[in-house]
Amino acid sequence: MVDDALKLQEEVMGKVVGVKTIRRRARAIVILGLLSVLLLYIYSLTMGIYPVSFTEALDQLVVIFQTGGDPDSMSGIVILHQRMPRSLAVIAVGAGLAVAGAVMQALIHNPLVDPYVTGVSSGASFGVMLVTLSGLVTTSFATLWLVPVAGIIGALVAFTVTMVVAEAAGGKAMSYVLGGTIIGLGLSAGTTLIMSFSADKMHSVTAWMFGSFANIEWSEALIVVLFVFCILFVILAFARNLNMMLLGEDQARYLGLDSRKFKRNMLMLVAVMSAFCVCFCGVIGFVGLIVPHLCRMVVGGDNRVLLPTSAIIGSVVLLIADVFCRSFTVGELPIGAIISVIGVPFFIYLMVKEGKRYVI
Amino acid sequence: MSSDGPMLEVSEMAFSYSDEGTLKNIDFEIMPGEFVALMGPNGSGKTTMMRCINKINKPSGGTIKIDSEDIMELSMGEIARICTTVPADTAVDFSLSVRDYVALGRSPFIKTIWWEDEKDEELVNDAMWRMGIAHYANRRLHELSSGERARVLLAKGLVQTPKVILVDEPSAHLDIKFKVQIMEILRNLSRQGLTVLIASHDINLLTRFCDRILLLSKGHILKYGTPEEVVTEESIQEVFDIRVKVVVEEGTVYVLPTGSTRFGVDGPLN
Repeated sequence: MVDDALKLQEEVMGKVVGVKTIRRRARAIVILGLLSVLLLYIYSLTMGIYPVSFTEALDQLVVIFQTGGDPDSMSGIVILHQRMPRSLAVIAVGAGLAVAGAVMQALIHNPLVDPYVTGVSSGASFGVMLVTLSGLVTTSFATLWLVPVAGIIGALVAFTVTMVVAEAAGGKAMSYVLGGTIIGLGLSAGTTLIMSFSADKMHSVTAWMFGSFANIEWSEALIVVLFVFCILFVILAFARNLNMMLLGEDQARYLGLDSRKFKRNMLMLVAVMSAFCVCFCGVIGFVGLIVPHLCRMVVGGDNRVLLPTSAIIGSVVLLIADVFCRSFTVGELPIGAIISVIGVPFFIYLMVKEGKRYVI
Repeated sequence: MSSDGPMLEVSEMAFSYSDEGTLKNIDFEIMPGEFVALMGPNGSGKTTMMRCINKINKPSGGTIKIDSEDIMELSMGEIARICTTVPADTAVDFSLSVRDYVALGRSPFIKTIWWEDEKDEELVNDAMWRMGIAHYANRRLHELSSGERARVLLAKGLVQTPKVILVDEPSAHLDIKFKVQIMEILRNLSRQGLTVLIASHDINLLTRFCDRILLLSKGHILKYGTPEEVVTEESIQEVFDIRVKVVVEEGTVYVLPTGSTRFGVDGPLN
């Protein structure tokens, strides 16, 4: 009898997906994901007006690394100075926005939340609009920096105002959503109003708002990559605490986590990371909202698996969209729109397939 | 580390929060392995009291000691290692599996950044087995019934390897069988040495299963003792403001609400 009971217990426990399996899965996802990001990265170097084949791109990469950044051919120069920094920025922004979205959804317990919900994107747009209309930005190199700097400042100011309002209103997660939404609405209205008075300069601002990686150079790419990945790794280190936050602020405190402080710090990290994502390449939607859902449907809600997966899928999705944008010879398409066109059908498919199982 | 003294010792404790949910002159002790009920009408301070014991609320006076240690001297993490709080139900689950959810109970103990170790894993598996939810370990939380989910919440509390377990309204939405089941589980845990404090409105279950009952009225303790001592027609009538009949059946006290609130007769509605 006792033996039978033990056997049954062993049999049942054997089927439990334990920490070893989870770790193995996470490792497999990360390795496969990094490989596919690398392959897509090399493939993306072949895309654009100047034709380069895949093997040529590989050869040129080797030359670039061997010579320390001194390619000898036209294709090498195009790859080194235009395509490498651009695709690198795409990877960082994709990863950053997707992780930012996953963190926001975990903190705020709301499926419709994205990284921009705390006013980041509207603030950035407002800043960019102001600096563009001020006439300070000319074609000279020095003034081109004004746009991203204005974007970051606008984003951070908007987030700070949101935080002050939300904390004054009790500091609940929903206070952040409401505060950020209303401040975002105000800033967007301000942007629209001011722009309607200066229709001639509207185009350059709207182009920024649509999002584009066309003008990314090495210095910009490195800034984005450095900041986004640094913050990303900090956030990843707190993945287990984010899991506790899934239970709600009270229950997280029962487990010994100072949930209010943790939430505030995480929101700040996410805001800064999102600000760096939008500052050079504009407001890119979809990735921050949909990629985390997509990944959660497939790998579940454990942030230790979800966050790395989101980072990888975010990079992959944005790389594919950017490659698609570049493959048209008539001119660049707005990446924000392209990504939604590609992503929406796929998301609907998953939503229908996983619908019953998926709750957020 | 004292084993003879009380496990939970509250003395002269007071808490005030903008007039509502105030507690005053709270004095009581719970011995190790006791199963004690917090009884009282809505707003009498049951939840406030629990939130003082797990340090979510900061009392304005007095002391609370768990296993002879003043909780004000302990960090939230240290409290989480000796005292667990089982919530009524969990609405959001964010697509966590039952195992993932239970494993979160190990959080106060995990020293590495990310993963549970083998000892954590053993405790998680053991708790799931004891609560009879191991079959559902890979399912997601919202796919379970309320009764099963209540046991998942308890399992998460158990992997915290606590000395004291606070349970707030565990059975509010459960059917009668699962209400009894939860009480049986809690009593068994207390017989194994855990100190259990439960807040609930199921008076008849509390009188049947608990060792002692702490009757709260408007923020102070009206009575504290065995069910027979505490639950009398007079005390229930005074605290809950409704006429009841108390019967004792095979040593267990039962409360039958026989009176009327006269709502709609003397007051509004008409």
